[in-house]
Amino acid sequence: MRTFFQTACAIALASTFLSAGYAAAETVDVATDATFPPFESIDANGKLVGFDIELMEAICKAAELDCNIIAAAWEGMFPSLVEGKYDALISQLTVTEKRRKTFAFSDIYDHPIFRFAAKKNANLEITPDGVAGKIIAVQTGTPMDAYVTAHMPKATIKRYDSGSAPFLDLANGRADLVLGYQAQIVESFLKKEEGKNFELTGPEMTGKDAKEFGEGVAIAINKKNTKLLEDINRGLAKVREDGTLKALMSKYFGK
Amino acid sequence: MNWDVIAENAPQYVQGAKLTLILAFGSLAISCVIAIPLAFLRNSRVNAVRYAVSAYTLLFRGTPLLVQLFLIYFGLAQFGGIRASFLWPWLSSPLVCVMIAFVLNTTAYTTEIFAGALRNIPIGEVEAARAFGLSRWKLGTRIFIPAMLTRSLPLYGNEMIMMLHATSLASTVTLLETTGVARRITLDNYIQFEPYVTAAGIYLTITFVIVSTFQIIQHRFAGYLNTRTG
Repeated sequence: MRTFFQTACAIALASTFLSAGYAAAETVDVATDATFPPFESIDANGKLVGFDIELMEAICKAAELDCNIIAAAWEGMFPSLVEGKYDALISQLTVTEKRRKTFAFSDIYDHPIFRFAAKKNANLEITPDGVAGKIIAVQTGTPMDAYVTAHMPKATIKRYDSGSAPFLDLANGRADLVLGYQAQIVESFLKKEEGKNFELTGPEMTGKDAKEFGEGVAIAINKKNTKLLEDINRGLAKVREDGTLKALMSKYFGK
Repeated sequence: MNWDVIAENAPQYVQGAKLTLILAFGSLAISCVIAIPLAFLRNSRVNAVRYAVSAYTLLFRGTPLLVQLFLIYFGLAQFGGIRASFLWPWLSSPLVCVMIAFVLNTTAYTTEIFAGALRNIPIGEVEAARAFGLSRWKLGTRIFIPAMLTRSLPLYGNEMIMMLHATSLASTVTLLETTGVARRITLDNYIQFEPYVTAAGIYLTITFVIVSTFQIIQHRFAGYLNTRTG
């Protein structure tokens, strides 16, 4: 009887491991915070669209990965990646020293420009003293949040859970400035009816201007999953070589 | 485990806990005052009055507080008329919006608690008071309200605790209360357990104080309701 149990247990255990290994090989779950057009958003039909989405699909195709891109909440994505619920994250994630401690990153695929947006003719001087007493809206836990927290202590900083909420409060006058990705500000706000009285303001900023803006954007991957990191980097290299990345850049940002 | 991060952010937690207390007890105090007259109106003999109060409590108990908060904070701001009105300096403040939502919500629940207690006051107590020739005002302030409040204590204690925990929604509209502080630390440092356990400890401590206070109050003021044996 004892041997029977031992065998049964061994089979159960083995099948668990096998099925786990099999499942991991089958699909790669990639999460994205779809509140960030033109990089990632959900269209009227409930479909994920945007630069990051198309890029991820291209990378997966090039690396022959079966990817499943999932819309997730910004704050829930990071712990879910650490716990292994998701295999990777693509969400215009800037690579910073702090993030590198917790996640692995693919090669960098873009260097975004960060800008402020404000009401037209607001004549705000974008300096620590120029924004003193002004309300700056940012998404929590983003490079923009880190930047204004570190460099603009005299301003009031309002932090939001999603990438789109800061623009709601800029449009209705609750905030004086929004710091965001330039492409995000232009595509998701200035080109729309609500944004017609607003404009980009202040200097163009990148990771070279402040360390909070990071080294560039990349795909975050669970540190333990070195195989997936290699696969994604291989796919990214292919997409870069065959011109797909360039085509996507010019399609979305005209550069 | 990374408790250093929590120690570094201790001042933020103090600020967060302070805001949590202001939100919870501020809205509870205001709503308690409004709910007392509403409880009488809820039991009014005039149908129109009774239905109006019922409709209000149904509306605010029948929809999630988060939805109510978003409608007040983001929803109202969508209308240019409101943004141009004299109300806007008030409504543009997240604190005011949150307080409006919390007060409207908890008043609905409190009204129903008080109104239920009012219906359960033994008719004998009321008749005795009438026999003494008490005026309507004295009947209300000396008999109905104290009897209603003491009978409401256990349920109302529950409502206070629920309201305390509901304040965590305020962080969705940029108010950095206890949960908001914890969430911000998780997003800045990519640790989950320590920030939320700290937040849970803060809520537990406040809840403990509420429960203990209610036991004392119950003993002091509602002791007469206990079943006497022997």
